Amino acid sequence: MSMESRESVAVQTGQPARAERIAGLLQAAREGQQDAVGQLVTELSPLLWQVARAAGLSTGDAEDVLQTAWLRLLDHLDDIHAAGALTAWLVTTTRREAWRVRAVARKQVPSDTEWLDAVPDSAPSTEELAVTNEQRRQLWAALGRLPERCQELLRIVAFVPRPDYDVVAAELGMPRGSIGPTRGRCLAKLRELLNSSAEGTF
Amino acid sequence: MTNPEARRRSTANEPTDEGDFALFHDIREMFLAVDPMPANLPERIRFSLALRELEFEVARLSAEEDEGLLVARGAEQSRTITFDSESLTIMIRIDLNCDGTARLDGWIAPPQRRIVDLRAGSDQLRVDADERGRFVFSRVPRGSAQLVVRAQPGQPGSGPTVVTPALIL
Repeated sequence: MSMESRESVAVQTGQPARAERIAGLLQAAREGQQDAVGQLVTELSPLLWQVARAAGLSTGDAEDVLQTAWLRLLDHLDDIHAAGALTAWLVTTTRREAWRVRAVARKQVPSDTEWLDAVPDSAPSTEELAVTNEQRRQLWAALGRLPERCQELLRIVAFVPRPDYDVVAAELGMPRGSIGPTRGRCLAKLRELLNSSAEGTF
Repeated sequence: MTNPEARRRSTANEPTDEGDFALFHDIREMFLAVDPMPANLPERIRFSLALRELEFEVARLSAEEDEGLLVARGAEQSRTITFDSESLTIMIRIDLNCDGTARLDGWIAPPQRRIVDLRAGSDQLRVDADERGRFVFSRVPRGSAQLVVRAQPGQPGSGPTVVTPALIL
């Protein structure tokens, strides 16, 4: 990990100001200020895109699912009172809607575990990654060797604003009725893979 | 570059630390490179949300009558108000409770399950209308109030949100 990227992490994520801004936008949206929801859309859609794509949707379906999630938020604004809760609500709603769309596309309703096997391999080819550096290639390869559930979890959490990590990760990492993979376990496994492929790089 | 801490810290449930954040940063950068959101998607979503806002229906007061009713609790005044919108009719009867608050009995026609919000000053109360379109707010502070009737979650196609003008309870 280079110093440069560490610094940019701090810049990108050390942002109580951002959390405050989102909380302010949420409040404004609840009071009916139209543009506030629009600004939230711009702010949080990149995360939701990854959520939908990590669930294995095509780009077209992912666009529809995002739109549905935001529309649904309009009906639930009054129930959501914190920025973290907003992020968690949007992630969960997008994910559920993505499962539903995928199930419809397959003309079947997946059981709790079936969907795991059903996630299509949406991985870009190695060629697509050819332009990127060796470290990124190693990261991609290591991620690809994780259980699919871990891949999804890490991909989503990586896009979650830092102050919201815990609330979102808790929701994602503890599927009802099972001892799912946790963020910690997935990270540990990823590190193991990275360390074995490039000693000391990560 | 070597990060000796990374090797030590591999147990499963430790809290997320700086090394984890750095790794998340790399994962994020990677997916931004290989599978970015279409740049104009937020704009398109904002547009469709704006369209949806236009679907709010404003109900109009269509009838109001005061009745000096003698009810079991004593002489109390009851007021019936009807609002009409394009898609539905909302009728409410307002009675006064002994403690000075108001009771509001409502009916939606055609009968349907809906969420009914009552904005009374800074308070917001919420009840569900049942399948007969009935809803009750049993204790509402007196003053200005506004009803918002909206679809239940997961009930798409049940018509637009309907708002009434403010009324005085």
